[in-house]
Amino acid sequence: MSDAPNDLPEATEHRLEELERGLFTSDLSVNEFLLIKEVGFHPVGLVMGSSIYHTGIQTRKWSQSQELTKLTEAMYNARELAMTRMEEEAAELGADGVVGVRLDVNYYEWGKDAAEFIAVGTAVKAEDGVSRRNALGKPFTSDLSGQDFWTLHSTGYAPQGLVMGTCVYHIAHRGLGQTLSTTGQNVELPNFTQALYEARELAMTRMQDEATRLGASGIVGVRLEEKSHQWGSHTIEFLALGTAVTEGADPVDLPKPVTIISLDR
Amino acid sequence: MSAPEPLDLRAVVRGAVAALATGPAPSTATTSDLSIDEELALHSIGWEPVELVSGVSIVSIPLGWWNWGQGEITAAAQAHRHAFANAIARLHREAARAGGHGVVGVRVEGAVRPTHVEVALVGSAVRPVGAPARPEAEVFLSDLSGRDFTLLSIAGWETVGLAVGASFVFAPRRSVGAVLGQQTQNVELTNFTEAMYAARETAMTRMQDAALALKGTGVVGVSIDEGPMSFASHAVGFVVIGTVVRAGPSGHQRVAPITVVPLDDAVVAFDARTLE
Repeated sequence: MSDAPNDLPEATEHRLEELERGLFTSDLSVNEFLLIKEVGFHPVGLVMGSSIYHTGIQTRKWSQSQELTKLTEAMYNARELAMTRMEEEAAELGADGVVGVRLDVNYYEWGKDAAEFIAVGTAVKAEDGVSRRNALGKPFTSDLSGQDFWTLHSTGYAPQGLVMGTCVYHIAHRGLGQTLSTTGQNVELPNFTQALYEARELAMTRMQDEATRLGASGIVGVRLEEKSHQWGSHTIEFLALGTAVTEGADPVDLPKPVTIISLDR
Repeated sequence: MSAPEPLDLRAVVRGAVAALATGPAPSTATTSDLSIDEELALHSIGWEPVELVSGVSIVSIPLGWWNWGQGEITAAAQAHRHAFANAIARLHREAARAGGHGVVGVRVEGAVRPTHVEVALVGSAVRPVGAPARPEAEVFLSDLSGRDFTLLSIAGWETVGLAVGASFVFAPRRSVGAVLGQQTQNVELTNFTEAMYAARETAMTRMQDAALALKGTGVVGVSIDEGPMSFASHAVGFVVIGTVVRAGPSGHQRVAPITVVPLDDAVVAFDARTLE
């Protein structure tokens, strides 16, 4: 974080002071707010980290499948910057964790390779005063909604952190000979299949490594996103995102679900 | 068939004049944009909708503020504040006239344009069933739905009002040398990041100040609209809007949710890209 802007704007201190005096802000819906209160947490503030990042250029070979490490690094680095800043704000507020984290990438017209990476969530604090921070002593983060957070808690699990793995991969084009030889036939295209598998495995493994570092027993709510961003059709970012959880020590009676047929549409 | 009775015009006119003098009969019909289940939810806690109310305001921004400068674009922030304050005041007035104690489900439509800020607020005025009108200053506003309002009331929370914060800041331009030097590199663009942070801190502080001024203890359902302005390449904006709440006299009440398994159709969330 050495190159990060370190002098916070004047308003920050005033804002944090107001939050410390007991006002809370949150982008939780009312349902989520009440459910979080229900499991003994109180929202302390809307926290956010953001970084506007310029991704470099990496040359790719037309006919070779490969990971584009420079771009992978950029995606990691920018997201880490945003996440770390959000966590620091939460720590500043004395929070035990951040729920409902959204990680977004926005592209704007200000530059071809510049994107805004943003992490937003609601910092929460346990009302009983017992620290619920994760194994690393930092506030836990989780992209679970208030509803999921309640369900997780009532089944005895605790979130540890938002974990992610990413891999930017270039998928080789097929040569003219290959294209011609398969015209009119039912065949699997092994180079495409293999490349997609490999990229996905890399992203998933990286996510799992992060969870292992947090001492988690599992990852819930995993989403796998494939995006081309602005790199053209054969370069894809695979992003795996999920919430690492640990099982609590005390056995919990699982709530018995009631079956309903809702009349909503 | 007998001939129709000749019309007694004088009597009709006298009746019309008398009606004008006494004013229209108090109407019992109500208008609202609440859905049926929201209306039922409101009735379950003893509230009823009275009238669809709105408040609109357009405030101009002087020319030339967006193009070049440094720090906050104060004219835009001021215009934004005035537009919201005016629209909220008008909504208060309409709601109070209609006999409402508050407005729920306020739809907020705000837009920042190069030369003006426009704000339109539309919501349903509500009151406890049959309650007498309240003074304008005591009317509350909320962009929460009728359902959320009901839920908050059950949990012992009061909705107080809308809190808005906005800030627009210039990002310093990078030198040509820096732009060229960073062309192939992975770097953070600190000028934009810092501008975004400045805008955000100022906007959040304004929202919090507004919440405290309303004597709230929290802001829920905050919506964030942030990013560079589409019409000005080096200006970034940050606008937050939320509903201010405070714990009622009896404090937070537990709502004790139950776990349900809805038997509705599942939603497919994974969508792999096709390769060209």
